[in-house]
Amino acid sequence: MNTKVPSKWVLWLSALAILALPSAAAAQESHIGKLTGHASSGKELYRRFCIGCHGPRGDGQGENAPYVTPQPRNFVAATFKCRSTVTGTLPTDEDLFNAVTRGFNTTNMPSWEPLTPQQRADLVAYIKTFSERWKNEKPGTPIEVPAETAVTVESINHGKELFQKLECWKCHGPEGRGDGPSASTLTDSNDQPIRPYNFSVGTRFKCGTTNQDLYKIFITGVDGTPMPSFADVIKPNEAWDLVHYLRTLQVTRKGPESEFMKAKGGSTKAADKSGK
Amino acid sequence: MKVNQILMSGIAVLAAATMAVAAPGGGTVSGKVTYEGTPAKQKPIDMSKEPSCAKAHATPITTEAVVTGEGNTLENVVVYISAGAPDGATAPAQAVTITQRGCQYVPHLVALQVNQELKVVNEDQTSHNIHPLAKANREWNKSQPPGSPAFTEKFDKEEFIPVKCNIHPWMHSTFAVMKTSHYSVTAGNGGFTLPNLPPGKYTITAWHESYGTQTQDVTITGSETKTISFVFKAKPY
Amino acid sequence: MLFRASKETGNMRAVHSSFRSSAFLVAAILLGSMLLQPEADAIPAFARKYGLPCSACHEAWPKLNNFGQTFKDNGYQLGNDRDAPIWQQPTYWPIALRMTPNWHREGADHMAVYDPATDSIINQGITTHGFDLSGMDMLTAGTLAKNISFLLVPSADNEGAFHFESASVRFSNLLKTSWLNAKVGKFELDNMVSEKRIMTLSNNGGLFQLYHFLPAGDYQASGDPNFVGFGLGDNQLGVEVSGHSKNDYTRYSVAVLSSNDGNVNLPTSRGYDTYLTFSQAFNAGSMGLQRVGAYAYVGQAPTIFLTDGVNVIPGAGTGNEKFYRTGFFGMWYLKKLDFTTMFMHGSESAYLYSGTPAGQTLPLGAQAPKWNGGWVETHYTVNPQLIILQRYEVIRMSQQGNSANASNYGDMDSLTFGYRYYPFMTSRAGFAFHNEYSRVRQRGTSPIPGLDLTTSSVFLGFDFIF
Ligand SMILES: [Cu+2]
Repeated sequence: MNTKVPSKWVLWLSALAILALPSAAAAQESHIGKLTGHASSGKELYRRFCIGCHGPRGDGQGENAPYVTPQPRNFVAATFKCRSTVTGTLPTDEDLFNAVTRGFNTTNMPSWEPLTPQQRADLVAYIKTFSERWKNEKPGTPIEVPAETAVTVESINHGKELFQKLECWKCHGPEGRGDGPSASTLTDSNDQPIRPYNFSVGTRFKCGTTNQDLYKIFITGVDGTPMPSFADVIKPNEAWDLVHYLRTLQVTRKGPESEFMKAKGGSTKAADKSGK
Repeated sequence: MKVNQILMSGIAVLAAATMAVAAPGGGTVSGKVTYEGTPAKQKPIDMSKEPSCAKAHATPITTEAVVTGEGNTLENVVVYISAGAPDGATAPAQAVTITQRGCQYVPHLVALQVNQELKVVNEDQTSHNIHPLAKANREWNKSQPPGSPAFTEKFDKEEFIPVKCNIHPWMHSTFAVMKTSHYSVTAGNGGFTLPNLPPGKYTITAWHESYGTQTQDVTITGSETKTISFVFKAKPY
Repeated sequence: MLFRASKETGNMRAVHSSFRSSAFLVAAILLGSMLLQPEADAIPAFARKYGLPCSACHEAWPKLNNFGQTFKDNGYQLGNDRDAPIWQQPTYWPIALRMTPNWHREGADHMAVYDPATDSIINQGITTHGFDLSGMDMLTAGTLAKNISFLLVPSADNEGAFHFESASVRFSNLLKTSWLNAKVGKFELDNMVSEKRIMTLSNNGGLFQLYHFLPAGDYQASGDPNFVGFGLGDNQLGVEVSGHSKNDYTRYSVAVLSSNDGNVNLPTSRGYDTYLTFSQAFNAGSMGLQRVGAYAYVGQAPTIFLTDGVNVIPGAGTGNEKFYRTGFFGMWYLKKLDFTTMFMHGSESAYLYSGTPAGQTLPLGAQAPKWNGGWVETHYTVNPQLIILQRYEVIRMSQQGNSANASNYGDMDSLTFGYRYYPFMTSRAGFAFHNEYSRVRQRGTSPIPGLDLTTSSVFLGFDFIF
């Protein structure tokens, strides 16, 4: 009898603990594959590596923020460019981990790959403590990226049609040179001027280098910038067609799409004819 | 389970209370919003880069940051109860619609309740992207090419959200997301009406996208109609 | 002569020779304001360019962490297509100045001092102290264009006499891979345990003894300008091909260097040396990154010199004789505690040791000196603003250059400990309060024959770089 009462209490308490812990701890942790990042370790790393730009409060107002274009990410607002999740939702831990690992090309944010994976996971855990959103919201569900379709003339030509129909050229320009009619007026959500990606230069995208990354960029949108999500207006297979066409705009880049174009006569026009 | 049930019934009670408030018969606050001084002259919009929209306008249109009526009335002012009204007003089932027509937002300003559906329609022969620059709510950004179906979204926090289309830099709107069900948006005559107010002390706020906010306290004792007016100082720049 | 030697930063060989050859010189070293200040690539110019705090690249300035090492190995590039100067404000000027005003106290136990009363040389300890200056480094470095970078370090002693400590151009990511980079000019050998980023500053502790060690009694330390000797810590002239994995875990480099120990104008030799290094890092989870590596330097120096009848014709030395340095190292991290372990085996030709022209009969007892040495350096990084450190260095002769020498002649023990405190951490300037004690004992090298010589340093300084 005497032993039963406390054991009941223990049960109750442990049940409570199980209920209470995940929500509190989840905001202090990150989970990337088998790695678990801890905000407490991340804080030290943040102060060592990140504080100069992102600031002690994570609001993107570090001592260097005035000299940095585009402005450092504001973790309090918790709007993130590179996600696998739909527009307006929080990214997954893995998205943040990949962003820290990759850096953001053509910005001040370097690749932190020289840090150990554990350190990067810790940083992700700490970054998530700056906004209440991580406590009140769940990360969005990652979008499904179907298997890539074959690179064909039809695919590239259909991609080109989509580029016209979806009016990508309004900003990115008719040849993807980042010189569309609206290009010069674009501002990001901090009211800072921002340039659309110039495909012809062929540099890495901010959100990755692979075809899958490119697929995700226009399906999820680049939140905080003028680049919208096309999730509702483009079908999965069509999306691959657009990917294939966009790759051909990267004229300085060597890839299966540009090789294909070369084989077909070198220019999109040639492909056009062969396709029609 | 039990806790849940209690919670549920609590919500039901709250909902019932709201319904009671919404029942006709309370007091009313109504009035007019005007300005004094000279409002900034609205700039003409050059839509030549978007011929399909330019065609839609017989007469040249201007920006809509300040829209006035006869007798110095001010349009597009959100007048709402910012304090005193019971919380927990459930969102109406019907959606509020904003339409992109002729590369303009119609209406220019949309007021809706927290968690009320907002329907976004594109009637134009051009793509728009709807980009609410939310701070308290989630910032999202969606493309809507011509011919694509309308979509709906909700906002779960009270906020005046500036909205823009990045493709057409002149396109600006506001989503006024209200916690209360007592709000009114002034039309061309500057008039507003907040009916069905049970007796109590209220703070009435008027918000304008260029001129900011003004507040007044009002006490309702019965089924009376109180008339108040807001006068904004217009700046010529 | 003495100050000449001191200007050659880290050129300790000459200093050791003066210990041995002249009591006056040793006393002058102690009284003089020489302060060895290795050029340190801690460059606020980079911090300013990229907006990163010092602590991003430096475990504690000037010691690099893996992020800083990767940045360096990428040719001072972060790799975001924004490294080239066309992306900077036109007024941006990549320059940083480093100096350390200080107070220091130097002691030596068995010195030779002239005693007028007895008109003889007596054995006496000497202590000196006072306020002083270090040398100054001007560090200019950066990218000239994407994947073309430079490092230029005019360096002055504390009286203002300049020399070029480093001057090199680097071509990075050749064939678009981080595995192939090339550097030409005068540069620090690719020592992962870099003396240019040493954490200690005092006369005794401000260098790795092993990186400059020549056996006691080595003719190359006699001051003969034809015998320049060699130090692994001396910047060398040549070309280096290097490469690394993207995260810098795996690194290699191969260098071909003029056999003049980094001295310009080809003063002695037309031979070439070779330096090879390789290191591999391992991720040990929450402990941090562990690294092990090995290196080998195989060099040669001339022993026969053409003359015009009176003077030696520079650079035309022949009769090359070999020397080498080889070893391995480890960098071990246990969270905030880290250890650097170093081992080296060194050897010189008996001809170089005795200064004998090749092919001639060696002096009686002359043989190739061989030695082993190593150190353990420990850091405790309390936080990026405070680091506590110690180093214990040991060098033991395994074969004397002269069989008549005592077997432990020239053996060295060196202990250094201290801390560096950085009162603020920004991306604009580096500043540290530095406090250090160091003590070096060498067997049998006192000016008084048969005695050991122990020297010690106390150092308090404000180390700043802007
Ligand atoms: Cu639009």
